[in-house]
Amino acid sequence: MKLQGTHLLPETPQNVWDLLNDPARLAKVLPGCERLDPIGPDKYKVAVKFAVAAIGGSFSGTVELREKKPPKSLTVRMESRGTPGFVTGEGRVELAAKGKQTELKYSGEAQVGGLIAAVGQRMLDAAARRVVAQVFEMIASELKKAAGEG
Amino acid sequence: MIPASFEYQAPKTLEEALRLLERHGDEAKVLAGGHSLLPLMKLRLAAPRFVIDLGRLRGLSYIREEQGQILIGAMTTHAEVETSSLLRAKCSLLAETAAEIGDAQVRNRGTLGGSLAHADPAADYPAAILALDAEIAVASSSGTRTIAAQDFFVDLLTTALGQGEIITEVRIPVCAAKTGCSYRKLHQPASGFAIVGIAAKITAGTGGKIADVAIGVTGVSPKAYRAQAVEKALRGKKANPKLIAQAARAAAQSVEPLSDLHASAEYRREMATVFARRAIEQALARAQGKKA
Repeated sequence: MKLQGTHLLPETPQNVWDLLNDPARLAKVLPGCERLDPIGPDKYKVAVKFAVAAIGGSFSGTVELREKKPPKSLTVRMESRGTPGFVTGEGRVELAAKGKQTELKYSGEAQVGGLIAAVGQRMLDAAARRVVAQVFEMIASELKKAAGEG
Repeated sequence: MIPASFEYQAPKTLEEALRLLERHGDEAKVLAGGHSLLPLMKLRLAAPRFVIDLGRLRGLSYIREEQGQILIGAMTTHAEVETSSLLRAKCSLLAETAAEIGDAQVRNRGTLGGSLAHADPAADYPAAILALDAEIAVASSSGTRTIAAQDFFVDLLTTALGQGEIITEVRIPVCAAKTGCSYRKLHQPASGFAIVGIAAKITAGTGGKIADVAIGVTGVSPKAYRAQAVEKALRGKKANPKLIAQAARAAAQSVEPLSDLHASAEYRREMATVFARRAIEQALARAQGKKA
């Protein structure tokens, strides 16, 4: 499953970059994230409870940030397993200044397997879109909160 | 294929069901016909701690006409909707749509309220409910309210229903004179779900004009929607095949179609056009009293 798009965020690339590289804040913008513990440089152990309405499951695995070029781009690699199957994927994130805002461009590919793919195939695309939309909403609100505090 | 353990509760009245739902909050799921919820539970994609079965409630299964509206109880099955002579006479679109759902087993158990509350992106009813400008009556332990069809479908599997609310009734305005409807659907061959489903309601005007038109679309995007661009292109115009073909091109214009194993986004967009054209042509012919 391919995922790509662009999204405008209400802060500078440096502020967006800081958020993406701070595990405590990153955990806040991942929907259903229950744990994001560093296990090495730029590598985290994650536990996520994914849910759309009453449908969902728990996943745990690792997230790794690679090929970092602050504050411009990085690659996210994720591997996770859970009760309803597995999700692995890799995506490239690019940040570009747009006035006082940041244009975030993402593109990547996710492999989804197991039960969730076998029976949920019909809804995967819609579910993925919803999770991506949620992530951006949460990033935007976390950025605003940080700006308000600073 | 065995669900995680849950506590089964079978209230005898709506009030009792609402109390239970309020008490258990998001740990509870309401069971109507069970044809969406139970498969998900068996696959353990859903694992509610409490299942509140509405099957013992009386008085939520009916179809009757009152003051220019057709009222349908939430626990009315698809088969009852499909075979209702009242609906066939006064709102054939809903009956026709029900006939297209799944298979006979699903239609005998699945309910109108259950299907709407589940809000599957490929369910059939939402297209018709939108085209008919239905109202959805809901109850909670703090009262009742109605939700317009347009506001009801929010996102994938997500509706405007609040935490403690249960759908009690669907209200459909009786169609105006010279109104014709049609539901045309591209079936996913294994599941019967709609890859694309288009519900059209057209009121014929004078001199071959289209006085009013409503188009509901399901299966194409994460939630069902009204194809307003198509409606705008047809409303008040003198109908002809070229106009209809042109208007139908906008059926999936405002959305980014879903993509899955069964149909790519491009294919869905194209099929939305094809099935919109067919539904419009048939609805118009019926509105004009032609055989179709």
